[in-house]
Amino acid sequence: MKLLETNVSRRNVLAGLGATTLGVITLTACGSSGSGTASAGGAKNFVMTVWGGDPDKAAYQTRLDLAKAKFPDYKITLQIIPNKDYAQKVQTMISGGTGPDIMQVAEDANAYSSKNQLLALDEYISSAKLDLKATFGAVAENWKYKDKTYAVPDRAGAMILYYNKGEFDKKGLAIPTGDWTWDDLLSTAKELTGDGVYGYGGTEWWPIWMSFAYQNGGKIIDPDSGRPTVDTPEVIEALQFCQDLIYKHKVVPSKVDYANMGAGVGGDAAFASGKVMMNSTGFWNIGSLAKQDKISWDVAQIWHGKEKAISAFGSGLAISRSSKNPADAFKIIEFMTSAEGQKPILDLGQDVPARQDLQNSPEFLKPSWLKADVNMEVFPESTPSIFKPPFIPEWNEMQKAITDATADFWLGKTDAAATAADLQKRLGSIVKTQA
Amino acid sequence: MTTLQQKNPAQARPPEPAVNGIPAKPRPSKMRRKEARFFWLFISPWIFGFVVFLLGPMLASVYLSFTDWDSFTDPTWVGFGNYVKLITEDTVFHKALWNTLYFAFFSVPLGMGIALWLAALLNKKMKARKIFRTLVYLPHLVPIVAVALIFQMILAPDAGPLNRILAVFGVDGPAWLFDSEWVKPAIILLSLWQAGGATVLLLAGMKGIPQEFYEAAEIDGASSLRQFWSITFPQLTPIIFFNLIMGIIGAFQVFAQVYILTQGGPDNASQMLVPLLFTEAFRNYHMGYASAISWLLFLMVMALTILAFSTSRKWVFYETEVKN
Repeated sequence: MKLLETNVSRRNVLAGLGATTLGVITLTACGSSGSGTASAGGAKNFVMTVWGGDPDKAAYQTRLDLAKAKFPDYKITLQIIPNKDYAQKVQTMISGGTGPDIMQVAEDANAYSSKNQLLALDEYISSAKLDLKATFGAVAENWKYKDKTYAVPDRAGAMILYYNKGEFDKKGLAIPTGDWTWDDLLSTAKELTGDGVYGYGGTEWWPIWMSFAYQNGGKIIDPDSGRPTVDTPEVIEALQFCQDLIYKHKVVPSKVDYANMGAGVGGDAAFASGKVMMNSTGFWNIGSLAKQDKISWDVAQIWHGKEKAISAFGSGLAISRSSKNPADAFKIIEFMTSAEGQKPILDLGQDVPARQDLQNSPEFLKPSWLKADVNMEVFPESTPSIFKPPFIPEWNEMQKAITDATADFWLGKTDAAATAADLQKRLGSIVKTQA
Repeated sequence: MTTLQQKNPAQARPPEPAVNGIPAKPRPSKMRRKEARFFWLFISPWIFGFVVFLLGPMLASVYLSFTDWDSFTDPTWVGFGNYVKLITEDTVFHKALWNTLYFAFFSVPLGMGIALWLAALLNKKMKARKIFRTLVYLPHLVPIVAVALIFQMILAPDAGPLNRILAVFGVDGPAWLFDSEWVKPAIILLSLWQAGGATVLLLAGMKGIPQEFYEAAEIDGASSLRQFWSITFPQLTPIIFFNLIMGIIGAFQVFAQVYILTQGGPDNASQMLVPLLFTEAFRNYHMGYASAISWLLFLMVMALTILAFSTSRKWVFYETEVKN
């Protein structure tokens, strides 16, 4: 140890290295700066941002090509961004002064509209004589904030129930319909459960348990006062029913059960592999299920409670505040959401178009891309029951609060009443700025 | 290092004669000036990059940390409001801070210990040594997203290999990622699996230790353990010190493991500072608040680094410094 006692001076190299690495931390706060695309060019240049993968790119590009044929002097650039990066990318684009002209918006639309980043479209809509309610049905309400409309509905498919037809036939069970009650769901799920197979896929995802809550007459946020209302008896009863499916009746796999099935396995994967007999989710599984022949399946409407209430998955098209030419940007949106403009959505099997007339068209009900015989009527049939979810400006914070507060609940460690009280408190601190 | 080179020629020159009683600044030689020009030429890309991409954003984030900014509308000045809220009110931040300290406190020393142990083992003469070295370093090369997916399987409550092994010994393994008590140890476990990166540095350091030391120690009758503690370890302290600094910084910046594996759950039991910062900035649109978090984080890491440096003269050994 004698060697250590020698007189030691500076440690320049290491000190320098340490300091440089330290500096990198603060960079995290700044993120990647938006690569500015030419939205500033001329007034006839438009940038449109959407999210998704290759099928989405194909559908949007086809639609934009139609728009370009109609408006030959417009130059419209499509920017497709992977789902998980979309919000962050658009945020940086807008902060960097290169925001898109037209942007796809969904659940967190009011994060933008409340911060004055989207144009209210009401004047354009009335001068174009569009009747959103008649054309798109209930989902037109989804893109309103404080009585102003900020987006035109573009895609909107109700949540549907996928069921394992082979197993239903084998056990002689009546197939699911929109007339089902909660009890019908439970009793059928019980019949289907056994031998490591579960009757139903689960309720933890917000569109599912919120559907139960709304069916029971509950609300997450009171639309009039803006206050959270998750500690009401209606919501508590619905939550308890959802939890009982897992731990009391054991007809739904718990989180632990899913983890044991493999990494990243949820209701969708478990249904496709025949471990779960009913599963509620969106349109997107039709395409992938049609490609397999392990299970025979079909889709049905979601059950009802005291009321009919079904979640929907969709998006709208909005105009960003930074658009140089909002009037013409609206013309593009008007075309994109016309019957001609939305038709590629169903032709390519990308999603459910928001237009009611297209949802009822033979091309949608008997799609050319789908060989299997699937009951596509469920989408137009479900549309009248779609409820308006609490798309508050603090949507992301609310989602995080819900995930945090219900973590122990979905593990079966707390009951609905205690969880709802806790969640009510957490939501109160998030939305208090609103009222 | 550049300063050393710059100093030497200047010192070698005799001082210039004084003109009118004022000592003239020594005029650098032609060679010296040329060298300086090249110095600035070669350093300029780095300086430019530092000022534009690092210093600028850093200074901006100092300002932003004193504002309420949603990243869209104009920031509003709130003074120390963000810092006060973080320190006195925000329970999620407190949780994340505690979790990060917990993670750093266990993962850094354990990681360093394991790396040293592996390096000592791999330094022994044995068969297939190269294969073992590759195997130890390999986890370090696997992308963190893949690692997280692998660990989701390994840590599965009943079907996972880890709990199956524990079951053989009669231990009923926890649900790991779903258990607020066990989720942090699970993330530490994941970080330890990647300790191989530090091992390689230590191994290289071991190769650099003069063989004479060991020969002399052997003649004096020192056991191999004694040799390790009296020769290997002191000679390796600069590398261990480097691993310590990098380990502390890395531990406080832990992001991907948490982000992919648990998203901070259950109920923030595994939430750490950088994922929290990211959430506040890019999910909740609280850019000013996130900037305040990043500066608190910076100050903490800086303080710990200074602490490590100030103790280093007691235990880190540099051969070059002995020669002076």
